[in-house]
Amino acid sequence: MNKDVWQIGGHELTSRFFIGTGLFPSPYVQKEAIRESGAEVLTFAIRRINLASTEDDSILQHVEGEAFRYLPNTSGASTAEEAVRIARLARASGLSDWIKVEISANERTLLPDPLETLKATEILVKEGFIVLPYTSDDPILCKRLEEAGAAAVMPGAAPIGTGLGILNPYNIGLIVEEAKVPIIVDAGLGSVSDVAQAMELGVSGVLMNTPVAKAKDPVGMARAMRLAIEAGRLSYLSGRISKKRYASASSGHEQFIVK
Amino acid sequence: MGGGVVGLSCAFELQKRGHQVIVLEIGRCGGQASGAAAGMLAPYSENVEGPDDFFRLCRESLRLYPSWRDEVRQVSGQKFEYTESGSLYIAYHEADRLALEGRRLWQSEHGSSGIVLEGDELFGQEPKLSREVKAALYTPEESHVYAPDYVQALEQACRLTGVRIFEQLGQVTVEDWRENLALTALDGRSFTGDRLVVCSGAWAKELEDVFDIRIPVYPIRGQICAYEAEIKPVRHMVFCNQGYLVAKANGTLVCGASEDVAGFDTTVTERGIERLRKWNKQAFPFLAEQEPFHRWAGLRPSTQDGFPLLGPLPESSGRIIMAAGHYRNGILLSPVTAQAVADYIETGSRLPAFAPERFSY
Repeated sequence: MNKDVWQIGGHELTSRFFIGTGLFPSPYVQKEAIRESGAEVLTFAIRRINLASTEDDSILQHVEGEAFRYLPNTSGASTAEEAVRIARLARASGLSDWIKVEISANERTLLPDPLETLKATEILVKEGFIVLPYTSDDPILCKRLEEAGAAAVMPGAAPIGTGLGILNPYNIGLIVEEAKVPIIVDAGLGSVSDVAQAMELGVSGVLMNTPVAKAKDPVGMARAMRLAIEAGRLSYLSGRISKKRYASASSGHEQFIVK
Repeated sequence: MGGGVVGLSCAFELQKRGHQVIVLEIGRCGGQASGAAAGMLAPYSENVEGPDDFFRLCRESLRLYPSWRDEVRQVSGQKFEYTESGSLYIAYHEADRLALEGRRLWQSEHGSSGIVLEGDELFGQEPKLSREVKAALYTPEESHVYAPDYVQALEQACRLTGVRIFEQLGQVTVEDWRENLALTALDGRSFTGDRLVVCSGAWAKELEDVFDIRIPVYPIRGQICAYEAEIKPVRHMVFCNQGYLVAKANGTLVCGASEDVAGFDTTVTERGIERLRKWNKQAFPFLAEQEPFHRWAGLRPSTQDGFPLLGPLPESSGRIIMAAGHYRNGILLSPVTAQAVADYIETGSRLPAFAPERFSY
């Protein structure tokens, strides 16, 4: 069997776990949890970073010297214009040319603004960024973002940090069916079962922060999530059985009848 | 066990309530993180995500502080700085406004009268602040103490109320705790009592095997520097996502803290201090011209979930009580910790969110 790898913007990835660097109880736990997650891509809010010297930033200094790819995000932006401005700052600092577009207009739900997200995606793609928009779980919108040149599309499972799990698995399934770029479920996952479900729906990866960082044991949870991603992925590739209404014995009589 | 701010506070509170307390300290009282701390009493600036159990504990401790301070001052006869400066949490991006506003909203329901300041209003409050700062959350309720003096006053208050303090013990070994309490120091002296309160901060993990329980406490090195600043150039405690600045009454401006993972090493590194200097001049441009005159480091006892271990060990019939893992907030949490420990001993009351056995299975 071929190695199960995938690509974003021409870069090959093995891990399907994108992990956020925020909210960890301490740098020690953060480091250990990231290591245990096996993640190759780290994500963080640009506004929380000291862009003038990123290698000395209070968060990034702890992962310095390791071969991570950075996916900075524009969280806090409430318009496309603002998101574009933040993205340019991040690229100018030499952090990364990958950008997660995250535009929220409501401080209570932090749900993404679909119109501004599409607008920002169009602009940033033209400017040569590798754009991964965080968006609502609308199949048509996700397709539009792909057509606008997004390198991957990241529909939310539920609002950020809620841990509610996949509120609309039907939509996530449709999004995957239609997509020609990787689909990454971003935001709202809470537990290992949510993660396995996402992977079974056929998404290419998941992005998480809160469910790991705020667990009682973030290091243990990072490992649990990594295993869930693996299990879910393998289940998706292996093909689950179809559901039936009535029992069918797993050791049927017929097969034992000597003919 | 442990003569840091937590151990001394527990000792003082218990002695006041009529118990006979002995403090066992391997070095000298306040010689580690307690003496190195900047003394920020800032539950709102230290908890930016939401009102969880830890925030509530921090806030309760801030509420207790004024009367606690008065008591420690009065009993010890020693003054220590306690400044009600208020704090500013500054932001450089328009995009931070949403987060500041969100924080202000939930914190206003929990005792903060904070407001978001910008422009002239902000620079009027803090004149030397960089004009690059777009907005700040001003929290009038936050204060700071001068930690070395506070801890010294606590120690004196303990001594004057009859606490017996043994320092420079080198090492203290728990020989028995299941049936009776028996501890020995390196020089062979032995100690006993009815109960043992473990306040050994970053070193608490050493007792895992003794108590047969997981104690996931990890030392995080915090490096701090101070500038000479006779005319207070910074009026509030100023926080940003990289660290904080606070002007002390003794004419110094303290800047902290650069965190890293370095085991029990308390060496100050060039890189660690440079890290502070790189961001602090962005907040206050006048600092670009200044050289810190003092640099030091301490070990913060962080825990696996960020919460302290506070309460009795389950198998010890209440004989062993943990009070460790206060991470960045030992000074702030000292009064509430002392109260929680004393209340448990007197009434059996517990704080389930901080139960020490929560990591064991």
